[in-house]
Amino acid sequence: MGLITPLGSGVDRNWTALLKGKTGIGVLTLFPTANDLSFPVGQVTKSFPPEGPPRTHQLALMAAEEAIDHTIGPPDAIIMGSTTGGMSRTEELLKEKQLSPTLFSYHSTGSVAEYLALKMKCKGPVITVSTACSSGATAIAMALALLKTGRFKKILVGGAESLCRLTYFGFHSLQLIDPHGSRPLDSDRKGLTVSEGAGMMLLESSDKIMDTETIEVLGAGLSCDAYHPASPDPEGAGALSAMKGALNDAGISPSEIDYVNLHGTGTVDNDLAEAKAFNRLFDQHRPLVSSVKGTFGHSLSAAGAIEAVVSAKCVEAGIAPSSVGLHTPDPRLELNPLRESKDAPIRTVLSNAFGFGGSNTSLVVGRSREIQGKTQGETQSAASPLPIPLEVSGIACITGAGNTSETLNAFTKGLNCRGLLSEKEISSSLSTRAARRLKRLSRMGLSLATAACGDAGDSKKPGAVFFGTGWGALSETHDFLNALYETDERFSSPTDFMGSVHNATAGRIAVKFNATGPNITTTGGDYSFEQALMSAHLLAKEDDRPFLVMGADEFHPELSRLFDASVRKGKTPSDGGGALLVKRGKTGSGPKLEPLFYENGNGNPQVVSSLVQCLGGNEKIDLDFGAVFAGLPAASRTMGRKQLDLFIQTAGFKGPVIDYRRYLGEFASASAVATVLAASLLKTGKISSRLTEKETVDLNGKGIVLLGLGNFVTAVAVYDGKGSS
Amino acid sequence: MANLIDELRIKIIDTLKLEDVSPEDMGEEDQLVGGELGLDSIDVLEMVIMIEKDYSVKIDNKKLGARVFANLKTLAAHIEETAPEGVF
Repeated sequence: MGLITPLGSGVDRNWTALLKGKTGIGVLTLFPTANDLSFPVGQVTKSFPPEGPPRTHQLALMAAEEAIDHTIGPPDAIIMGSTTGGMSRTEELLKEKQLSPTLFSYHSTGSVAEYLALKMKCKGPVITVSTACSSGATAIAMALALLKTGRFKKILVGGAESLCRLTYFGFHSLQLIDPHGSRPLDSDRKGLTVSEGAGMMLLESSDKIMDTETIEVLGAGLSCDAYHPASPDPEGAGALSAMKGALNDAGISPSEIDYVNLHGTGTVDNDLAEAKAFNRLFDQHRPLVSSVKGTFGHSLSAAGAIEAVVSAKCVEAGIAPSSVGLHTPDPRLELNPLRESKDAPIRTVLSNAFGFGGSNTSLVVGRSREIQGKTQGETQSAASPLPIPLEVSGIACITGAGNTSETLNAFTKGLNCRGLLSEKEISSSLSTRAARRLKRLSRMGLSLATAACGDAGDSKKPGAVFFGTGWGALSETHDFLNALYETDERFSSPTDFMGSVHNATAGRIAVKFNATGPNITTTGGDYSFEQALMSAHLLAKEDDRPFLVMGADEFHPELSRLFDASVRKGKTPSDGGGALLVKRGKTGSGPKLEPLFYENGNGNPQVVSSLVQCLGGNEKIDLDFGAVFAGLPAASRTMGRKQLDLFIQTAGFKGPVIDYRRYLGEFASASAVATVLAASLLKTGKISSRLTEKETVDLNGKGIVLLGLGNFVTAVAVYDGKGSS
Repeated sequence: MANLIDELRIKIIDTLKLEDVSPEDMGEEDQLVGGELGLDSIDVLEMVIMIEKDYSVKIDNKKLGARVFANLKTLAAHIEETAPEGVF
């Protein structure tokens, strides 16, 4: 494990200081603020040279270095939670109007994990979740699910965040900051303290290690409040659902929890809602309880991971930490929080991370042998077969050419779909009231979700949302910073801040459909949709409610060209997205959707042969797939083209290969649109001569494989329900 | 105060992007929050910021906010009473 927090560097130093009741909350010195806008923060006492990557990346690396064990080789995968990414640098550059694109190369939230992958030489999947305050815990939940597939043995996972104006002034505009420093669970609490840091873990699969020293992540539960973009459900229903889900996943009952590490931010609403959930769950047995955010502050995406590390230490040491910052426990919470750290046998800990936008994750951490009489093999199928493929019941897409049918029409004719659909057209299915506070990305997202559900004609509304976006809500980000700078950093818009978090769109979709299951936003650049699909595959519950798998990106006239090198090279500003309403099923007749492959394209010379092998070799590829849809982002086109040519050669693939960005344009979620189009074309069973540039090709019941190429190599299969595999 | 109320109508419509509302629709004693306009706590925060920016009047606690944002009349009255010299 690894930690870097305002309390210090390293797990041991942090643990010692935590137990001594120290606090890392103090004065902000990273950037200047007006006197009356100066609030306590949790600031890591370290500065980094300006030539290197931004602060979030550096903090992530410090914690990762501590967590990794170089003697056992690189991790098989890396999963990170981040909300800010390179924002601390980006906002400075924008403020000073230094607008050279190369300066922004580390902006994306996804670039943190990619930086770690480079440093750790990871060849496998590199995934980024951005679900605000639950990100770090969500990343751990995903790692757990990935390990259970048996295909990966060691995963580097965690969360990292740095202080920046966006979050500092953003939370202030929502009046959620306590000017005296956060006092979780206190009668007089007034809000949170924005903080920074990183928490990392190296998780290894449990069939390998089974001794008394081992501490495990035993289970995870995910839910969504589906209530409001900035306030938690006051009854704590979503919180309760996540907590129960974690216990179920771990196969334990509430009475087996010895300590609960609350999300406990110190806001009036969160602590109350969380306490209600706690009291409902622990109505018989009352575990020890505290919040450590009076010590560490609230480091947003890092918090869930930092606190998972703390939880593991609690089990190891047999000590539960106190609630620093607490003077008078609020009687309305009906909790008995620890006022001093307590020595006690701690077998299992429940740790909560509840995100802005309603995305909730709870983790159970404990010793593996302490599950009464049950071995790991009985509670979870450790090396289970791949989850049941997803079946598509409804689809929708948006491109410059228009909606689903307009795009499909243009695409099959080999016509250009590039461009930007008007604001009016992307909002046509939304009422004025509903769309009032929404800007481009959210409007697209809601329209896509509505259209996909409409296409399914299903009366069952989606229960979960898995949304990929390379760049998030650029309009809100731009407008927030603009308003802030124009007023000399005195005023900013709470609506824009709320809308700027990457998971805002998925959160709003959840509210619309009351989708209270997992709500995940993945931000892996050009592979964000593929990551969303993987998340769905790993985390969607096996019940009968369908769920949405989506990808969308907006073009912003000022920011897109600065951030996305492929957009810079694209001929026409383009944006759009795709949505598929899916469910787990073997019985239906809809197309099947399956993520098959995801590896690093850099530092991985065998990636193409690995891909061919994963798809089953030449004969199977020929049997399964009638066409390849290739995603070649312009910025890495040369590299991508080499990979594609090598694939065609190695696999001996003779079918049509369609370079879809040529038609759809350059935007990070183009693969979502391509997947929707592939699912459509399966129905007709033909790829037109305009697309193949030769003769019309009959698919003959075969599927289509969508390859993502360039910095990462991915494969997603879309095939007929009655097809092979 | 009538002028201020008219001004506030326009500013509120603009700040909160109430595209389907015209100034005439906003009665001066109509409930502002939780009423026909469909305004919520975030809209209140946006109005708080607009009022501080444009009139130098700070509304920084929930109790005060609840009283002040009852309707346009109470809002205008509060602003007139508490705005520093030179704002009007």
